Amino acid sequence: MTRLPGRFWPDTVASRAILILVAALLAFHMLGYWAFRVGVESFASAGRDGGLAERIVSIKRAIASIPDGAERDRVAHDLSSASLEVHWSKVSLVLGTVPATERTREMEARLKQFAPDLAAESFRVGLADDGGTATDRHLMLVSIRLEDGSWVNFSSSTLGAAQHLDWNLTAIMICFAVGIVVVALLLLRWATRPLRDLALAAERFSLDQVPQPLPEDGPAEVRRAARAFNTMRERIQRLVAERMQAMAAVSHDLRTPITRLRLRSELLDDDATRRLIDADLGEMEEMIDSTLEYLRGGVSSEAARPIDLASVVETIVDEHLDQGHKVSLSGLNSAPILGRVLPLKRAFSNVIGNAVKYGAAAAVRIAEADGHVVVTIEDEGPGIPLADMERAFLPFVRLEESRGRETGGSGLGLTIAQAVVGSHEGGITLENRVEGGLRVTVSLPRLDRPAPERSAGGER
Amino acid sequence: MVMSGNAEHEMDQEPVAPIADDHGHILVVDDDPQIRLLVARFLQRHGYQVTGAPDGRAMMEALAHSAIDLIVLDLMLPGRSGVELCRDVRATSHVPIVMLTARGEESDRITGLEGGADDYVTKPFSPRELLARIRALLRRARAGQGAAVSQASALVTFDGWRMDLRRRELQSPAGTLIDLSTGEFDLLVAFVEHANRVLSREALMQFAKARMSDDPFDRTIDVQISRLRRKLEADASGGQLIKTVRGAGYMFASTIGHHEGLTA
Repeated sequence: MTRLPGRFWPDTVASRAILILVAALLAFHMLGYWAFRVGVESFASAGRDGGLAERIVSIKRAIASIPDGAERDRVAHDLSSASLEVHWSKVSLVLGTVPATERTREMEARLKQFAPDLAAESFRVGLADDGGTATDRHLMLVSIRLEDGSWVNFSSSTLGAAQHLDWNLTAIMICFAVGIVVVALLLLRWATRPLRDLALAAERFSLDQVPQPLPEDGPAEVRRAARAFNTMRERIQRLVAERMQAMAAVSHDLRTPITRLRLRSELLDDDATRRLIDADLGEMEEMIDSTLEYLRGGVSSEAARPIDLASVVETIVDEHLDQGHKVSLSGLNSAPILGRVLPLKRAFSNVIGNAVKYGAAAAVRIAEADGHVVVTIEDEGPGIPLADMERAFLPFVRLEESRGRETGGSGLGLTIAQAVVGSHEGGITLENRVEGGLRVTVSLPRLDRPAPERSAGGER
Repeated sequence: MVMSGNAEHEMDQEPVAPIADDHGHILVVDDDPQIRLLVARFLQRHGYQVTGAPDGRAMMEALAHSAIDLIVLDLMLPGRSGVELCRDVRATSHVPIVMLTARGEESDRITGLEGGADDYVTKPFSPRELLARIRALLRRARAGQGAAVSQASALVTFDGWRMDLRRRELQSPAGTLIDLSTGEFDLLVAFVEHANRVLSREALMQFAKARMSDDPFDRTIDVQISRLRRKLEADASGGQLIKTVRGAGYMFASTIGHHEGLTA
């Protein structure tokens, strides 16, 4: 379907279907109504006109048989009824000079058809003058000439009259249409639900999560789409897994040559060169570690255990202090969570390391809110342009333009941090501080009731 | 459940003076010939005698034919893995073992240590770190006449705290894991092994240094102790464990329970 402009054009399958349905129903009803009207009307008017024609013939005969003029007029009056008024006069009410119209010609033919006797008579058909009142406007006039040259004049409002619109029928029809729209709306919403589910699943599709195949049910088209979606996801996942395996294998294998290089550099007599080589090797190791950690996607073979996050953060902060960095720690000194030490260490090292590297200093604070342990890391750097906030978490993206080139790094720090925090059912957000600098907020579910102490074999 | 008196003996006897124990026979088991060669050259440079072995069979042969003081064992070996070999060796010998594991693979570290390794170094390792670990283990082994950590108690308890010496983990009375740096853990080990005794700064430094690499940023022992205290204070019961003894040093005041192996 071509895209129609305008915001009133419905956007969903359901509303489009309803629109189509209503349009079709309306057309069908109109057509049916029209056919019905035409059929009934022609049948009814044929009967009515036939009756009137016969009465016209018999009244004419009755009046023709009366010789006296005054008597004729009285009889004509007596024979008059609401639907047919009869007068006798010397002249015709329908002037011979009035040109015949479509309607009068048609009426003439009809009368001849209904009452074949009339064919032999000399008669005129005409419409009452438009100068009359509104109700008289459609008065049909028929004048029949008697043998003595006088006329019997008939006037009838029902003869050849058109039916009026039946409002009752119209109202029923509208109610009917409204009912159908309501029912169709409900049914279509139900019928298109699998489609909405499909869209939702496609939106939620993420390689980080354990795949949940889409249920292949609903109407045939939706089943097919769901199947296609599942197949596509499997293919993507396989492809990504293969690539990741290859990348992990390469990273892993690089460790052996790096170990060799470390040993070789140790054998060098030139201390300055050795230190430079060691620094380079350290950087390479860091990249490999980050890459492998990234490929693990925050998932670890380590089991989640009750740990004190404060002690983990303290260790990292202390390490930075030992290296002469400007780092401070405040807030809670105990923050129990359910977690994995190594990945969490890595995540916080990355965030605090970033703050030190790009923000010159890191102010770390551990707090508690709404059943969560909230760790904020604030730096004194330039922050991150709003446009880059989303990109900051993307793998291999380095927001170096604003942060200087020489800092190195793999561009995986925040990606890993996000994956690790995510795997702990936590969240990580970035914001620029009003005072300047970046604030990273990591929130992890607090462990309210530490797991009961594991019973140790041999204790006591 | 033996806490050897020899360890204390060492503390008392050995002077603060640098390590003079750079001798001994080390067996390096790694399938990469280059690494074997390079480690051998590096260790020889530091006064050790080195034998290389590419796999488990060669390792067993070397163990049978010469007096080995320490084994450097790669976890990833063709054929029998490092962990299996570690168990094999442990069945008959107390020779100290340093395991080479892949960095970031927590499961490797755990299986390695639980297989009976005394310490581990992650690959790619810094040769100096390896040297520091070897020195420390050899010293301990000599002091305890073969009883390295793994042969002593693996699990130590005090005031509801649990310390797993093999996994190098500390658990608070509330059951949460407290993360300690290498230096802090070694310091705590020193305290626990000499509980209820006054330890001078020099003694503590000597003890903790044995494990730590020659990191130029090493803080003074006081800083280390204050950090350790802060972490222990996270639990209400931990606040008073390390007492300052004016003019003399520090004392770890608690009743220590020693338990053989068997962590959950």
